[in-house]
Amino acid sequence: MGPQRAVSVTEAMGSAKRALEQVRLRVVGEVSEFADKPGYRAAYFTVADGGAAMPCLMWRDQYQASGVRLRCGMLVEMTGHFSAYAPKGRLQFVVRDLQLAGEGQLRMQVAELARRLEAEGLMREERKRSLPAYPRRIGLVTSPRGKAVHDVVRTLKRRYPLAEIVFAGVPVEGSDAASAIAAGLRTVAEAGPDLVLLVRGGGSYEDLMPFNAEEVARAVVACPVPVVTGIGHEPDTSIADMVADLRASTPTAAAESAAPAIEEVRAALATTSRRLGRALAHRVQHAEHQVAVLARRPVFTDCSVVVGQAAQALDQAALALHRALPARLEREAERVRYAREGLVRVGPRIGERDAERVAVGAAELDALSPLKVLGRGYAVCYTADGANVVRSAAEVGVGDRVGVRVGSGRLGCIVEEVERSDDGRSGL
Amino acid sequence: MDEAVCKAPDEMAFGEALAELEAIVRGLESGQLELEESMTRYQRGVALLQALQGKLSDAQQKVTALLGEIEADAEGE
Repeated sequence: MGPQRAVSVTEAMGSAKRALEQVRLRVVGEVSEFADKPGYRAAYFTVADGGAAMPCLMWRDQYQASGVRLRCGMLVEMTGHFSAYAPKGRLQFVVRDLQLAGEGQLRMQVAELARRLEAEGLMREERKRSLPAYPRRIGLVTSPRGKAVHDVVRTLKRRYPLAEIVFAGVPVEGSDAASAIAAGLRTVAEAGPDLVLLVRGGGSYEDLMPFNAEEVARAVVACPVPVVTGIGHEPDTSIADMVADLRASTPTAAAESAAPAIEEVRAALATTSRRLGRALAHRVQHAEHQVAVLARRPVFTDCSVVVGQAAQALDQAALALHRALPARLEREAERVRYAREGLVRVGPRIGERDAERVAVGAAELDALSPLKVLGRGYAVCYTADGANVVRSAAEVGVGDRVGVRVGSGRLGCIVEEVERSDDGRSGL
Repeated sequence: MDEAVCKAPDEMAFGEALAELEAIVRGLESGQLELEESMTRYQRGVALLQALQGKLSDAQQKVTALLGEIEADAEGE
């Protein structure tokens, strides 16, 4: 048996290719080189571990369908088969399916952190603060690049331009992202916002890892005002979402939840304005009605109601007075008439009786009158002034003038001689 | 009404002014107030309402960047 028939290089490589393509494998390794130029029909990269390196390709449509965006250093898990690129005589691995190898492990770590924070009570509903209805200032922490920041600013501008946005632009991917996000939250909190929006556009699970960092979770919890997350990766909930006061599904949804729409506020204000006017109008109408009701009361329509009673009392008093005065006078006059009649009746009889008594008295008086005595020849001697009767010779001296009353007439005399009686009481 | 509550409407935060206005409207609607008090509160309510409407019409969104500058929207993510 002679030596094998020689084959061409092309045939040799074709033979090798067929043999290699039987080798289907599932391979894990770290991406060490990566080239993804837009013109290429495949993504070319090298996956390696400490001992070997393996050139790989993945057809563009399949690569894009995988959702993975390769970077150097990334740990990947691939399914595919070997092949050969005949023109260069190169071995390569054709990748049919690609995913991040670490994702499973990352998910486990995240789940563990979530359990720990939940045990601390950081995810409890009662911890979650309600959002202010009309925020004055809204903190925004996100990447300064990309759609998310513009979605938020545009939404707030459209809905509620009253609020000022205080913005902290931070990297949201990569190894520094977690501490940068935490620092950004602290920075906007210092500006005194009423709430903070922590947002990011969509990305792979790994891209969103900073939002699963404990440092970010702690910063969200420590934020003095409510935090709303809008981290666009719908099927997964990040830890930041879990500890936030409100979780919105996207940056735009987060912005919408942060403030009312200005049209609604305008409408509400217009309603309030009408209510204000109506309320006062009702109050005034009520007051007018009360006054009107009172004004119709007899007390105001007929003044006699107010003074009537007093006036009537006055009339009564006047009447009583009018009645009382003549009656009293009449009574007095009656009494006077009666008295006069009495006098008239009694008077003459008083006269008659007294006349008798006067006549008797006069007779008695006449009998007693000194004139009668004098008539019988007695005389009465008076002092010169006629005031006193001289009863004793001692009362006068020689030369004194005295008057002597006799039965008829009077004599003026001068004492010429005083002769005292012997009773011894006389003399000067 | 408390003196301290009677801040100048223009100096009040939107939510604060709105809350006071709501309270005034409720008070007036209760019909329990004296007429003079109703008039005073109505005037206060009108002042608040004007301030609020002024804020709405004057509103200009202000964005203050504390960290980083927002890059133009054309940039894709």
